[in-house]
Amino acid sequence: MLAASAAALPALLATTGCRSSDLFAGPDPLAGRPALSHDVITLQAVIAAEQAMIKLYQAAVDGRLGVDDLAGLLAEHRQHLGRLQARLVLPPGFSAASPSAPPFASPFASPSASPGAVPARVTIARLRAAEQASAADLLRRLVTVQPALAQLFASIAASDATHLAALGG
Amino acid sequence: MTRVMATSAAAGRAVPAVRAVPALQAALAAEDAAIFGYGVAGAHLSGSRKSAAEQHWTVHNEARDTLTAMISALGATPVAAQAFYRLPFEVTDAASAAKLAAYLEEGVTRAYLGLVAVSDRRLRAFGALAMQGPAERAAFWRGTTQAFPGLDVPG
Repeated sequence: MLAASAAALPALLATTGCRSSDLFAGPDPLAGRPALSHDVITLQAVIAAEQAMIKLYQAAVDGRLGVDDLAGLLAEHRQHLGRLQARLVLPPGFSAASPSAPPFASPFASPSASPGAVPARVTIARLRAAEQASAADLLRRLVTVQPALAQLFASIAASDATHLAALGG
Repeated sequence: MTRVMATSAAAGRAVPAVRAVPALQAALAAEDAAIFGYGVAGAHLSGSRKSAAEQHWTVHNEARDTLTAMISALGATPVAAQAFYRLPFEVTDAASAAKLAAYLEEGVTRAYLGLVAVSDRRLRAFGALAMQGPAERAAFWRGTTQAFPGLDVPG
């Protein structure tokens, strides 16, 4: 009965000459999904990039790349991801996945590979390039988002910079 | 006047957009504290660690000059350095000197992160870039990296 009533609401409103916005003070539930804010879209892209970074580091760890405390750097990237994901609260019906590929896919893969693909053999140079690209991307993005999110991006970018040094920069 | 050698905790906290001049002044105060502190730490270091401390001291002097010029350009009077700063702990040997250097760099990192909360995009970018140097130097003195330099979060 309740479901039937809800389904019949648009027709009822049309026959009475009312729009749903006349009845509800808040967002119009019949107007479709609301658009995501710029901060949310930016956060989704940064999360996707961090996930790609973790895959890259995991491949380096699995491949026994000879770097001291590579697992420690990987753990810090996982902390980045956890903190970023904690900031992402989506309305029902939205996917947490970014609508676009990571903005710095090129350090992760050869031009012929798909964006975000992890190469078979990860080198220190590739990790360094990925860290550099990540820090640069975060610096570019943080000027467009709210202060609290900007500070998180800045802190992660600084962490990436310290990773560069740890990788022999 | 003696100032406790610590930057404002509020500088590293996630806050709504803040005004530019107080954030720049906080960064300048942190740089002044670092300049003083490296003088203390350097006296207990030797060899390559002493050379590193001298290089870092020079970097902080240059940063102080940059911030002083930026504050003056905004029509404000740069906060003056204190004659003496109370150390957060006793510095008696190379280990405690390195610990002090890390502490100083963490304070500078937090102060620059405070600048990232301003609404001016150029200053925000400046703060974000400027915090990378002290974060790297803090990692050098500490011997480990951190997941969230400048932020009051675990890890």
